[in-house]
Order: sequence, then structure tokens, then C-alpha cells
Amino acid sequence: MNLKSLIRHETFLALLLVVVLIVLSFQSDRFFTVDNLLNQGRLMTEIGLIAIAMTFVIATGGIDLSVGSILGLTAILTGVFWQNVGLPLPVAATAAIAAGTFAGFVNGVIITRFRVPPLIATLATLALYRGLAEGISQARSVRGYPEWFYVLGQKDVLGVPTQLWILLLAAVVASIILAYTTWGRTVYAVGSNEVASRFSGLSVEKTKLALYTASGFAAAVAAVIFVSRVSTTRSDMGTGIELDAITAVVLGGTSIFGGRGTVIGTIIGLCLIQALKNGLSLAGIKGDGTIMLIGAVLILAILASNLFERSGTRT
Amino acid sequence: MSNSTPYVSLSGMSKSFGGVKVLKEVSFDVRPGEVHALLGENGAGKSTLIKMMSGLYMPDAGTITVDGKELRFSSTRDAGAAGIATVYQELLLFPELSVAENVFLGNYPRTATGIIDWTEVRRRTRDLLDQLDTYDLDVDTKVLSLSVAQRQRVEIAKALSKNARILIMDEPTASLVESDVQRLMAVVRQLRERGVGIVYVSHRMPEIFALADRVTVLRDGAHVATRDIDEVDENQLVSMMVGRSIESLFPKANATIGDTVLRVTNLNHGRHVRDISFDLRRGEILGIAGLVGSGRTELALTLFGMTPATSGEIKMEGRTVRIGSPRQARDLGIAYVPEDRGQQGLVKAMAIRKNVSMATIERLSSGIFIKAGEEAQRALDAVKRLSIRCRNIGQPVGELSGGNQQKVVIAKWLETMPKVLILDEPTRGVDVGAKAEIHTIMGELVKQGVAIIMISSELPEVLGMSDRVLVISSGQITGEIDRADATPERVGAAMTAHRSGEAA
Amino acid sequence: MTTTVEATARSRPTPQRPGFFKRLFAEYGQEIVVLAAIVVLFAIVTMVNPRFISANNLTTIFSGNAYIAVAAIGMAMVIVTGNIDVSVGALIGVLATISGSLAVAGYPIWFAWLAPVVVGMAVNAVIGILVAYARIPSIVVTLGALSILRGGLISVTGGTWITDLPPAYLIAQKQVFGLPVPLVFMVVLTLLAAFWMRYTAFGRSLYAIGGNAEAALATGIPIARRTVAVFVIHGAFAGLATILFATQLQVIQSTVPPNLELTVITAAVIGGVSILGGSGTVIGSTLATILFATIGSALIFVNVSAYWLRAVIGLLILATVLADMLRRRGRGA
Repeated sequence: MNLKSLIRHETFLALLLVVVLIVLSFQSDRFFTVDNLLNQGRLMTEIGLIAIAMTFVIATGGIDLSVGSILGLTAILTGVFWQNVGLPLPVAATAAIAAGTFAGFVNGVIITRFRVPPLIATLATLALYRGLAEGISQARSVRGYPEWFYVLGQKDVLGVPTQLWILLLAAVVASIILAYTTWGRTVYAVGSNEVASRFSGLSVEKTKLALYTASGFAAAVAAVIFVSRVSTTRSDMGTGIELDAITAVVLGGTSIFGGRGTVIGTIIGLCLIQALKNGLSLAGIKGDGTIMLIGAVLILAILASNLFERSGTRT
Repeated sequence: MSNSTPYVSLSGMSKSFGGVKVLKEVSFDVRPGEVHALLGENGAGKSTLIKMMSGLYMPDAGTITVDGKELRFSSTRDAGAAGIATVYQELLLFPELSVAENVFLGNYPRTATGIIDWTEVRRRTRDLLDQLDTYDLDVDTKVLSLSVAQRQRVEIAKALSKNARILIMDEPTASLVESDVQRLMAVVRQLRERGVGIVYVSHRMPEIFALADRVTVLRDGAHVATRDIDEVDENQLVSMMVGRSIESLFPKANATIGDTVLRVTNLNHGRHVRDISFDLRRGEILGIAGLVGSGRTELALTLFGMTPATSGEIKMEGRTVRIGSPRQARDLGIAYVPEDRGQQGLVKAMAIRKNVSMATIERLSSGIFIKAGEEAQRALDAVKRLSIRCRNIGQPVGELSGGNQQKVVIAKWLETMPKVLILDEPTRGVDVGAKAEIHTIMGELVKQGVAIIMISSELPEVLGMSDRVLVISSGQITGEIDRADATPERVGAAMTAHRSGEAA
Repeated sequence: MTTTVEATARSRPTPQRPGFFKRLFAEYGQEIVVLAAIVVLFAIVTMVNPRFISANNLTTIFSGNAYIAVAAIGMAMVIVTGNIDVSVGALIGVLATISGSLAVAGYPIWFAWLAPVVVGMAVNAVIGILVAYARIPSIVVTLGALSILRGGLISVTGGTWITDLPPAYLIAQKQVFGLPVPLVFMVVLTLLAAFWMRYTAFGRSLYAIGGNAEAALATGIPIARRTVAVFVIHGAFAGLATILFATQLQVIQSTVPPNLELTVITAAVIGGVSILGGSGTVIGSTLATILFATIGSALIFVNVSAYWLRAVIGLLILATVLADMLRRRGRGA
């Protein structure tokens, strides 16, 4: 029953995506072109990486609001390590990613060791990490990266944007982990009943710690891709991205209370959001109008799947 | 003692959920000043019936007559206004609020200006608690810090605050220890003297014979019989409930007792596990008796690594071990079936298959991947072996009955091939039939050489099933009694005893 | 043994009651901690730099942040019922634009003040209905509402500022009885809300719903209706906060401070409102807002670079959260 309703939500969402794609391609002949679609894939990679990690976090019944700030902090550190400290760029980027991952680890420690509810813990580190980014950057942006660095964010590999390969790889690996491994099983079990999971000898704390660390890592990788894509670093990068990622995850059918959710659902949710953004802007509707529409789609999609589910289970 | 005209009568009550008829034309009445016991196995329709009486469910058919007038309850407020109050089994209180506020919530005394009169709320709560001989409860305490028995007293005070004429008590003693049960029974008698009619739902026969004036038995949603209590005996009631006669409630299997598998010496953890030493042998059932809060469950949690021992020694098969987490306990062959099935034992939203494999998921994997086929096969075997009644192994555990849920928890731990199986209240909230099945499973396990530690609040169960009884009080062992010498009196005395030199 | 205990209990009609201060601390522990933090901070910073307690600076601290405190009152109520609202920042932005536009367009001033309150209530009524009747978790509904309102704000204003506001409209810059209006607003609304939550059955029912929804239902509390009502009240407070926010400068910017909703939530939570629902007071949320404002101002007075401001505030929030967790754990064990 559980599995059925889950599939139902994703099928419903996939159908919605198909309808949206068809409607949008009628709206504008520039929409359904390979170039445009690939470019949209480029634009959604950063949110996508974060959303994939967020799927795991939310499936355990947690949340990570600090990802946008971690993204900003990592971006700033990449620039600072390279320009001010003078490290070679690959080393600088790696060090910055390590720092972002560590920021995620700190979230995990606060949540698992001190038992602070994830919402509050990451609300606090949201302020802290963004503040660190501002303090370190002193409102200076770093530009002028070497040409090869833009391969990551602006160039193609085998005709497909480089970062889209990364997203694809992440999605496949994450789907497999969540669906078929002991780790994925633990995620669902913890999300459904943390106490019983602990009583069953599952390593609840270790799993959570790993997830928040992974979430930091995803945000950090997204940061480097972001920097490469826009050729600059600024301390306000990634502001509000946590809400975009959560929207994609929830739209994708992951229960905000935990215990349910799939990576494929998140990816469909993400595509739907990006298609709407792009299609509407091509149709001449301003970007802000599409933000509104995404909000409406989120509410309506959950409403619809709630209604289906209720009629499905109450027989 | 009791007036013969009923205050409340229900007739022809029927209710269906999603096409399944859970109650079929049941009639039931309560007179002022009587205790009317309501009996039936889990799923017999008792809860549905009392939920309709208390206004939580609307009946599909049937009438409710209160004091001669036919009424329809569309909310609990309506039932409350008609003088019917309910003390639910799960004790519906607000942990973050004070005792006084819990009593008067939704029903506050107001001052002339219409705002809540907190002085009056506290004064009247004090009065009500005093009426229940509960002088030791501060009205300003937050409910979260109270014991189950104290919370129940708060619930009863709440019912009295509304001048209830009828009080429905849903398994009020299910989670109480003997001394609290006695106190509760005194309260029930006192309420009866005052003319309150009491609907008393319970599985426990001794209480029913001690308290009830009349008894009604339900089975499969239908009314079986209503009798005066002196017209029936225990065996008749049980056979009315299950529709057949139960031969033996405690089928003690005789297993060969072997070598010592677990030896605990001077084990300590906090105030509740103090200086505990005992041996456990293969094929033995060691019963642990004690009041709630005596440290029974805490001892189990320490052995299971949830609250690791601060000092003392644990030897498994002669080897000294350190148990720092449930994982380590599991790997050493110690399994624990917890007291709180819903919270600690099961992931209710998950399928039977996934629950059964939960403690052995690493063993069922190659690398990091779960071997789904083997997982399903093991679950099927477990369902068959423990005769778990379900549609299929993909069914969420939450949909099963209490007894079958408990069997799933046991199945999960049997998968770990335990050498020591700790069962904490294995048959609480389980109906008569499933209870006997669980006891049979225990018998089979000891025959295979498993050593069982069984914690139970039910003295007959402890005495009936154990080879040896360990009695715990204030975190210490106050008695170790062999099966032959274990009488209710001896065990009971040890439960309230204190070790010399220790103050209460 | 047992019988003697019984006997003494019976002969003693009044049980031992914990002392006044102990009870005060048990009930208002978090509020007291926050208040103490404010006092200590004031003392230390004033020693370093006496100008810190100048009237001018105090006005900045209290008046400049009063709108956050007012919004946090409604937020505290929502969180007490076990819900949350991440859209309030965007809502305040939208309401400010509506209010300012009306004022500039020449509508009566009272109308420009009333409109954000009414619209705020209407918007949140929709949110409340979706939460209570459609059973969509509040974080999901308000996440959607956040997008809708944020997008709506930018597409309506196109990023332009509202200028030429009539002087009579700028109520936040006025004084009553020699006190700045925002300060009076903040104090009066906090006290009213605190009184309402403590002394009315409606107010208490919010704690019941957040503390144990099942039990609240069994007590006969209409949970769905109350949930809608609490969102509507929260909308009204967002409207009142808007009045203070929109009238504090000569212009209304088309944006609100980033992450305003998170600041408001943080204020409520640091003030002692349990994120799980069922406990906390609006006095706490207002004190927490003052604490943040004090910290922000103090950092400037002790010459911390403005760039590091947010980092230090973040660190302090984290420290408060951890201290609170340790305190709770100490009490729970």
C-alpha cells in the first residue's frame, strides 16, 4: 500500500511533467530544442545536487536549512584560498569543499551529539555560515579564474554540459543507495521510527551524522560548480537555495515527516520546476511570475497527491 | 448498592469502517452506582463501543438514551454534557501543561470579567485530588514528570471536574503495578459509593471479580452475554470471550537446563540498576518481577547496551564482555523485545518483511546491497513459524493486531539467533489467544537452548512461566526464588521489600 | 513501612510545594535566561562604551527591531500549535508594498494602515485552511506561499522603491507620551498577546493543540478551526509588523531583509517556544528579538567589523541553542 501510493505520486508527477513539456513546447518553438534543454540542465545542477542530499535528510525526518550558507561559504573560500592564500586552484577548490563538508559535519554533530532539532540547528548555522562568508569576503568578490576552470560550469563534455554529468552520476548513485542498500534502509527506518531503529541495533547517530556531512559536501560541490558557471564569487551566493531544494524534494513526494521519498521523485520535481521557469520566461512571462507558479504547483501537487492517497487507503 | 434503572443505555449500536462491520447491533447499559465490566479480546469491538459512548465516533445505527432522553453525540463535548467522561488507556493528557490545567482544560472556571481564574483552577484541582486521596501530587507540576499512576489520577480528577455521572475506564490497570492497582480499585469503589456508574474495560480477571457488579462480553463485534458477576466464573468468561475453552494459560514447557550462558556480577547503572548479580543458563526462563520503576526495564536496557553499565562485570559464555550499544549486544547474542512495542519495537509504517530483517540487515547483505530474495524468504519463514496472521509480508506492521505485532518483534530478534532473549512485558495488550501462542513460542525457544529473561507485571505469568524468579526493588535484587517455592505471597513480599540499610 | 507513608500523607493535606523562584524558573526558564543575557550584555558593553545606553542608541535597538518582535508574536502562536510559517518575510514585503502604494495613491492614511492587516489575515486564512482542512504540512504550504508571495512582490513592484510617502503615514517615526511608537506597539502587543495566551480558553487551547492533538480532540477542542484562527491572528500580527516596517523610513524598498522569516522563527524559538509545539510564550519571543538587536548594536559599539556581524550573531544563536539543550537535558534526566 505504502509502495503503491509512492509510485502513484511519482507517476502523477511524471505525467504532469510530460504535460508541462508539451504545453511549453507549443508555447515557444525555442523551448523544446536540445540546446535549450541542455542549458536548463546546466542551470539546475546546483539545486539538484543539494536536493539529492536533502532527499536523504528529509527522509530521515530531518531538514538542512544551512545548505545555501554552506554554498556561499565554500564559494568564498575557493576564491580566498586561491587568490589571497595563493594555493593552486585545484587545491584551493578541494580545500574549500573540505571546509564545506566540515560545516555539514558540524551540523551533524550539533544534531546528533547535542540533540538539537535539525530545524533549529541548521537555522542557527545558516546564520553562522553566511556570517563567516561575509566576514571572510569583506564584501570583495573574486574574479579572473583561469580559463580551464570554466570547463566545469560553462563547457560541455561529449556534447552535454559538464556539470550535468556530475548531477546524473550523483542521481544514479544516490538512487541505488537509497533503494537497495542497508544505508538506504536505515534512512527510511530512522525517518519512520527513530527509537525503534535504535532498539533494532541500527546505527542511527552515525547515519545521521553521515547524511548531514554529505549534505554539506553536496552544497560545497555545488558551490564550486556555481563559481565556475558565473565566473565570480560573492558572499551572498546561494541565498534561499535551501528553500528551492526543499521545494523540489517535497514536490517529488518525499514526506516532510520522514520515512518516505525517492531520488527519482526529487529529480522529476526538479525538472518540473526548471521547465516551468524556462518555459514561462520564453513565453514572455517574467521570472518572478514563474516563482509564483512554482509555489502554486508545490501546493497543488501535494494537495492532489494527498487526495489520491486518502481515497486510496481509506477503502 | 445500585439503582436498577440505567442512566445510559445503548441499543442496536452498529458501526462499519471501510465496509468492515466492527460492531453489530450491540446493546449495553450502565446504572448509577454500578461497575459494569466490558470484556472481549482485542478487536471484539470494546473500543468502538466506548468511543461511541464518549462521542468520538458516530454510530451507523442504534440509539443512545441518557436519563430517559434519546441523544445524539456528535462530539466529546456532547457526551461530556450528558455526564459521560472517559479515562482513555493512552491517557490523553498534555505533558507540557500543569496538573491543574490538565484537569480544567476546555472547562476553565472564569472570573467575572470572563478570563480564566487560575487561583480557582488550582484550588478546585487540589480539592478533586484530595477527594481521590491523592495528597502527594502538586497541582503546579507539569504532567510530563508524573508516573503513569499519577497521570491516571489526573484523568480521573478531570472526569470528576465535569461532574461525570458515568465514567468509562479503558484498561485502567494495563500499565499499573500491583500497589497502584489496589489504590485505583479503592478509588473505583469510592466513586461507585457516590453513585457514579463505571464502565470498566479490562483483561484482568481478578480485578473484574473484585470490582464488577455486572459483566458484558463482546466477541467479533457482537454482544455475547450480559450477566451479574455472581452468575459466572472465570472459565465461563474466558470461553465466552474466545468462543472456545482455553486449556492451559501457561503451557510451561520442560526444557533441559544447561550451562551458564550469562553471568552478571555487581552491575550498576544510575539509581535503577544497583549491584545486580545473577546467572542465566541455557534453556532457562528467568522471570523478573518488580514494581514499575523498580529498575526491571532499566536492568534490561543496561544488558542490551542502551544505557551501558557504569560498573560491574558481564560474562557471556565465560568471556568478559563490554556492552556499549544495542549493536554490540546483538552481536554478542543478546536480544531485547521492548516494553513499548509501538515506539521501540516496530516501525509501523514499514512492511513485515522489513521489520523482520531490521536487526539483521547487514547479515542479509552482500557488500552494501540488501539481498531482497533472501530477505523475503526469511520473512515468509518467520510468518509461518510464528503463525503471524497477515495478508502478505508486504503489509505494513501497523495494520496487524497487537498479538501479531508482538510476534513480528519477536521474529525480528529470533533472526539474530540470540543466546539470551530478554522479553519485556511480552504479552501486554495482547489478547488471550495470542498470549497463549507467545507462551508456546517461548517454550519452543527454551527447548532449543535459548535462555530467556522475562519481565512481567502480571504475577500469574511470572509464576506460570519461570524456572526461577528474580525480584527487583529500588534497583536491587530483593529475592531469588525457585519455581517450586514461588508463591504470589513470597514474590509479592520481595517486591515491596528493601535491602537492609537502605531507606525508601 | 508503606502504611506509615500512607498515614503521613493523609494527615498532611497540603503537599510540599516547590519554592516561588523554583516554580518561576520552571515555567519561564528560557525567558529568564534571555533576559539575563540582555542585562549582562548591556552591563558589559556600557562599561566598554558608555554611549551604548544613550537614548539615541536605545531607540535604534528597540524601535528599529520592533516590527520583528511583533511578527514573532504571531509566529510564536503558530509554532505553539505545532505548525510553522516560512512565508512571513515575503508576506511583510507584499503588505508593505500594498500599504505604501495606497498611501501614495492618496487613500486615507487609516486605510493604508488597515489594509496590510486585513490582507495579511486573508492570505493567512488561505494558508490556515490548507493546513487544517487539506492536511498539508504547514512547512510545505508556507514554502509554496513563500514562492508565490516573493514572486508576486517582485513582479508587482518591478524592483522599484515607493517614495513620496505622506508624512502623516510614517507612524513609526512618531512618538506617544515621549516614547517611540514602535516601542509602544511592541510592548503593548506583547503584553496583550501574553495575557490572551495565558488567561483565555482560546489562548490555552493553542498549547493543547500543540502539546497533544489527539487529547485536544478528545477534550472537544475544534482543532481545524483553531488552526485556521491562529494563522489568521498571525496574519494580523504580520500586518501590524508591516505598519512599523513600512513607515520607519521615507521610502519603502521593494525587498525585505533577506531571511526575515528565519529571523522571526529564530526569535520565537530562542525565546523558548518549543519547535515541537505545546510550550513557550510571546514574552520570550519579544525578549529574544531584543537580545538579537542588542547583540547587533553591541558589536558595533565594541568595534567589531560590520562584515563579521552576522557571524557573531550566528555563533551566539548557536551558543544559546546549545545552552538551552544542555539545560533541558539536565532537567529531563
